[in-house]
Amino acid sequence: MDKVKKFFKACYDGIFAGTSKNMRIALYVLFGLTALFLIFAIQILFWGLGYTDMDNNFTWGAWIIGDLGLVGLGGGAFTTGYILYIFRVDKLRPIINSTVLIGFMCYLFTFVFLLFDLGQPLRCWFGFAYPNWGKGVYPASMLTEVFFCLSFYFCILIVELIPVILEHKVLIKNKYVAAIAHYMHLLMWTMAAGGTFLSFFHQGSLGGGMWGALYAKTVWYSPHFFYMAIVAAMAGGTSFMTLIPYIASKILNKELVPMETFQLLARISGFIFIFYFVFRIFDIYKAVAVYSPMGGRAYTDMWGGYYGLWMLVLEIILFVGPLVLLNVKKYRDQEKYMVTGLACAVGAIVISKLSVLLHGFAAPNFPWKGFTAYGPTIQEWSITLGCFAVMILIYMAFVKWFPLFPHLEHDEHEAHH
Amino acid sequence: MKKIERKDFLKLGGGAVLGGLSGWVFSGAPFLGFQWLAEWTQDQYVPVKGFEKYAQAVSDSCPAGCKVSVRMIGERAVKIESKEGVCPSCHNALQLTYHPERISTPLKRKGNKGDGKFAPVSWDEAIKDISAKMNSIIAEGKANSIAAINKNESLNGQLMEKFIRSAGSNNVYYEPSLKSLTSSALGGYVNYDFANTDYILSFGAKLVEGWDSSADMQKIFTGWKARGTKIVQADTVCTMTASLAAEWVPVKPGTEAILAFGIANYLITGKRLNSTGEEFGKWSQLIINKFPLAKVASYTGVSEDKIKKIGDEFSKAKNPVAVAGKGACGVSASSAEIIAIYCLNTLVKSRAATLMKNSAVTYTGEFAGLDSFIKNGSFSMLFLNNADPVYKSVFGEELKKKMEKAFVVSINPIMNDSANYADYILPSLSFLETATPENQPVVASFKESKDTKEVIISLSKAIEKTKNTFAFSNGIDSFKISGKESASGARFSFNVDKIKNELDALDKKFASNAEYPLFMIPVEAPLVGDGDGLAFPYVLKSIDPTVFYREKLLVQINRETGKKYGLSENESIVIKSERGKLSKVYVHLTDTVAPDTVAIPLGFGHESYTVYGSEKGVNPKKIMAADVDPLTGTADWWSTRVKIS
Amino acid sequence: MEEKKIEVKMKRRWGMVVDLDKCTGCGKCSVACNQENNMPIFEDDSDVPKRVAFLELMKVTNDRDAKFPDVKTAYLPKMCQQCEGNNSGKHKAEPPCVSVCPAVATDVGDDGVVSQVWSRCIGCRYCQTACPYEARAFNWWKPEYDGSFKKSLNTEVSVASRGTIVKCTFCSHIWKRERDKAVAKGILDINDVSYTPACVGTCPTGAMVFGDLNDPDSEVSKLASTDRAVRLTNVIDDEKNPEKKKALLNKKQFANPKVYYLTSQSWLRDMMRFKKNS
Repeated sequence: MDKVKKFFKACYDGIFAGTSKNMRIALYVLFGLTALFLIFAIQILFWGLGYTDMDNNFTWGAWIIGDLGLVGLGGGAFTTGYILYIFRVDKLRPIINSTVLIGFMCYLFTFVFLLFDLGQPLRCWFGFAYPNWGKGVYPASMLTEVFFCLSFYFCILIVELIPVILEHKVLIKNKYVAAIAHYMHLLMWTMAAGGTFLSFFHQGSLGGGMWGALYAKTVWYSPHFFYMAIVAAMAGGTSFMTLIPYIASKILNKELVPMETFQLLARISGFIFIFYFVFRIFDIYKAVAVYSPMGGRAYTDMWGGYYGLWMLVLEIILFVGPLVLLNVKKYRDQEKYMVTGLACAVGAIVISKLSVLLHGFAAPNFPWKGFTAYGPTIQEWSITLGCFAVMILIYMAFVKWFPLFPHLEHDEHEAHH
Repeated sequence: MKKIERKDFLKLGGGAVLGGLSGWVFSGAPFLGFQWLAEWTQDQYVPVKGFEKYAQAVSDSCPAGCKVSVRMIGERAVKIESKEGVCPSCHNALQLTYHPERISTPLKRKGNKGDGKFAPVSWDEAIKDISAKMNSIIAEGKANSIAAINKNESLNGQLMEKFIRSAGSNNVYYEPSLKSLTSSALGGYVNYDFANTDYILSFGAKLVEGWDSSADMQKIFTGWKARGTKIVQADTVCTMTASLAAEWVPVKPGTEAILAFGIANYLITGKRLNSTGEEFGKWSQLIINKFPLAKVASYTGVSEDKIKKIGDEFSKAKNPVAVAGKGACGVSASSAEIIAIYCLNTLVKSRAATLMKNSAVTYTGEFAGLDSFIKNGSFSMLFLNNADPVYKSVFGEELKKKMEKAFVVSINPIMNDSANYADYILPSLSFLETATPENQPVVASFKESKDTKEVIISLSKAIEKTKNTFAFSNGIDSFKISGKESASGARFSFNVDKIKNELDALDKKFASNAEYPLFMIPVEAPLVGDGDGLAFPYVLKSIDPTVFYREKLLVQINRETGKKYGLSENESIVIKSERGKLSKVYVHLTDTVAPDTVAIPLGFGHESYTVYGSEKGVNPKKIMAADVDPLTGTADWWSTRVKIS
Repeated sequence: MEEKKIEVKMKRRWGMVVDLDKCTGCGKCSVACNQENNMPIFEDDSDVPKRVAFLELMKVTNDRDAKFPDVKTAYLPKMCQQCEGNNSGKHKAEPPCVSVCPAVATDVGDDGVVSQVWSRCIGCRYCQTACPYEARAFNWWKPEYDGSFKKSLNTEVSVASRGTIVKCTFCSHIWKRERDKAVAKGILDINDVSYTPACVGTCPTGAMVFGDLNDPDSEVSKLASTDRAVRLTNVIDDEKNPEKKKALLNKKQFANPKVYYLTSQSWLRDMMRFKKNS
């Protein structure tokens, strides 16, 4: 009994030792959310999805929004990796570990959310065992594509993350571990290349193809959605990957990553945003002029209820952030503008995903039915927020105990000399 | 040497484990394991297999006597099919037969009435106790204080009537139906020759939505469509009948009678037509004086020109017929209304409406009808023959009080609001479990439930006075005495003395009223009807979200009226009438309802009608108008003056 | 001696016609379907968006555009429309729901009926998202049958588990039943089997008709080609110009359902096409 108590005390100290009051409160909140997550996770898994606010009309809700957001924003991982390892832009090296970790967590929790969202999670392997392939290697179902690509890419992310874990100051002392870590670093470019290749497919399919392929649903149908989602992921993901370590830096009051790395990644993000913006305007035009009439409906008729045109307007407004603040050097160099730009970029992506899902499902399928709405239940909130809490906790754990920021270690190392 | 050996050992061990693991994975064992786990944790029920066959059955509990074919798997009935169409209660018979809340043994009340506490007793004990009580009442010379309320005039009802009348009581009543209302008003119920008419003027009768014999009307409707018969529907709400009709005449709520007066007025004065009814002269004087076309137009909302046009078309048709009886399953009409509408038929010498009677059914007892009995009568013993007057009558609360003081026996298969106030509940069978001269029972009787006919016969044999009423002892033989229909032979009379007060009341009712500016009228959801359907889950599955949604009952109000009162969709309101108030109703704004009207669904608000039917919505009858008609003895509950807040 | 060739290739294409001028909204089709297909039983089934039913009796009015008293009402029994899709330029003809299932739990049979195998379904609800008719129901709760209600269950339709999709299959289990009966009688030609789904069999006004769309003499074929025929939200039907229609089909598939509704009421026709009422 004593040993158990000692163990728990050691854990508690390990986590909470030397933390400020604010940090302690934050940790309590995060652990609380995690506990709620575990409780309601059991309820959902054992007693079914009846406890959510999803229904036969509003088929997907909080967890698929979570999936879309996580995968879309996690797309920064492959973009950053590609630019670092293939284009050899070494200025990005300080941020790559954090990026890989965030990417890994995003995809891990995508799977976690999906596990809850499936009516029969025990049958999740059917997607691999009975895939819906069309002609040749072209999948008939976008979800088959998602299953395979996401799983392979997740493996790649694991491989990319392993060196970060191995470089823990205790583990790295073992010479075998050090050797593995070293060789992995050399071969990382293969992972990056493979990851980028796979990401093109699953970003396109999960972010856009899934919706764009639904030819009977005028609110979503658009053949180019697949490509637009890839650009969106690259644009928004890079902003997201910049924003997270920046926030961490501010909280810890340490320079985890040099400012020029932040600025470089922000600049890259802003640049891709121009393409995304143009693509989006083209997308709206096509929807209004071509695809809505093809489905016999007026574009504006499909916007209404709670998720009205204000979402579209908000998204366009948020575009201004990255377009101006991240592209114009004068603004990018000022921290507060850069952060605003990054936040707006992430916001634009989040709003676009929300709009795809919320507005898409709310639009009536028959003119005698009205717009529907979705209000997540406590189970959905707990699981969604709980997963976010766990992600934050894992990130914090890595920041504290693993060499997530080689720049920092290097500086400290140099400082000791 | 040692080091190498350990390394080798580790390598071998590791390899073995890895090999074993991958072998296990690739053999598919874990996947099959998942599949087994999925099935074990879900444990779905597997229906019991059996030999498939079809059995025939005829309903003995509905007046139409629906004929059905029942698909059986082994001993289980799984589907009711019929080429001729079934009435809703017969369609629900399968769910009734297998309802988990069916009463399995006779029940005796424990605790206070209305508490719902009953204990099982044996049939012998129940019959003994009931017959002892009845015998003593008859011996005291108070046979007239024994009353019976029948659900309908099927054979069960006819047997009960015969039993109670031979016991010496005049207080046998039937729950109000189209037949009972028209019989009392006209001296016979109307037999419509719908197949040979070319013009139907319906006054609020929702012909295809459960009115009269639902199964027959569906077939008749098909015939009308084929022959191009013109239907003109006077109605306040645009229901299916109004929509399918050739013409919908929107009328202000409850004013169908006034419209009939107006058309009659026009046909008499404008077209100089005559009716052969008794006291026609007196009646037509009253109508012409009280209801000139201008007044009719303002009360009903139908313009004078339109009234004249309808009158013209009606009189010029080859074989027109006017139909009375507002509503679908729950029918309501005052005698003044029924008489006026029947008068239209006589004015145009319609060959499509004749008066009939059933030799074994008398709708009038000591009082003209059920509601006047509940209001003014008294009883020391009451038999409920599958009836639910506590729920269906506007005097349900008064009836509860009277039932608390009397000895009540209820014969029904599942609990209902009225049986909750009984002293004894005798469980009866669904028609699938009873035998008729044409077929054997399809399904074995449920536990100790008995055929209503046999219950009545056993009771009659246990009562001194009625020992010899029935010459037979089993249910099958009772079919021999089933009533025959024939022309009523009654002379159609306008009964002016009886109805003149009602004519005055109608005049006053539709004048404007500041305190209660709106009218509440009923609407019905398909399959729910006027309440019977709500105990069945597959009926619940059909209810539209504009009627009952997420446990909230919705009333329909016109958009303009909604704007006037500042109402928004789904808002909670309170409806008040002179008799009381209904809360926990919610608004559904729709233009299918006339302005200044609240259309409330019937059939909800049961207190104890199985877990499927109870505590859902509210029962509007509690606050509906309760003026008892002098001829039909039934409350004219159709339109009630209300206000909302 | 020459053996008689027994036809095993399915030539039938099952379709349905619902005459909305005859439908009185009695609801018997709904009860028959529920009974035949073992619909799960709930004490409170008023949470309509989560309701498990194959056939939804939709109440349609034009009061979105019309004011009292120019209003009309209709009941529209809606079940899975058994879409076909179209062979367009680059796409193989497939219903919108079949192409999206990641586990091939739903597929189109040779007779055009879209099947649903609940034991293969992983419950991702992608097919439900893709269906424009909201025809698919998900078992949000565990399907249960309170007590003795279990006795009226049909053995030909398996009870699904929670977390799977179920939908109308034009009662293809009845087809199988009729096929078995025919074979037992020695009739081996697969195309000699005809059947009636539960809903069509109960309709008291004959508003619902079922049959083989590939047979030009069948009642469904004749009714489906009349002027009154309209398909739910299948807007390409309004494109009368054959060249434009071909071009449109090359760009995108349309649902191409096999359920036709007949109506002489133009307001209803318009609403079924998202048009404003004339």
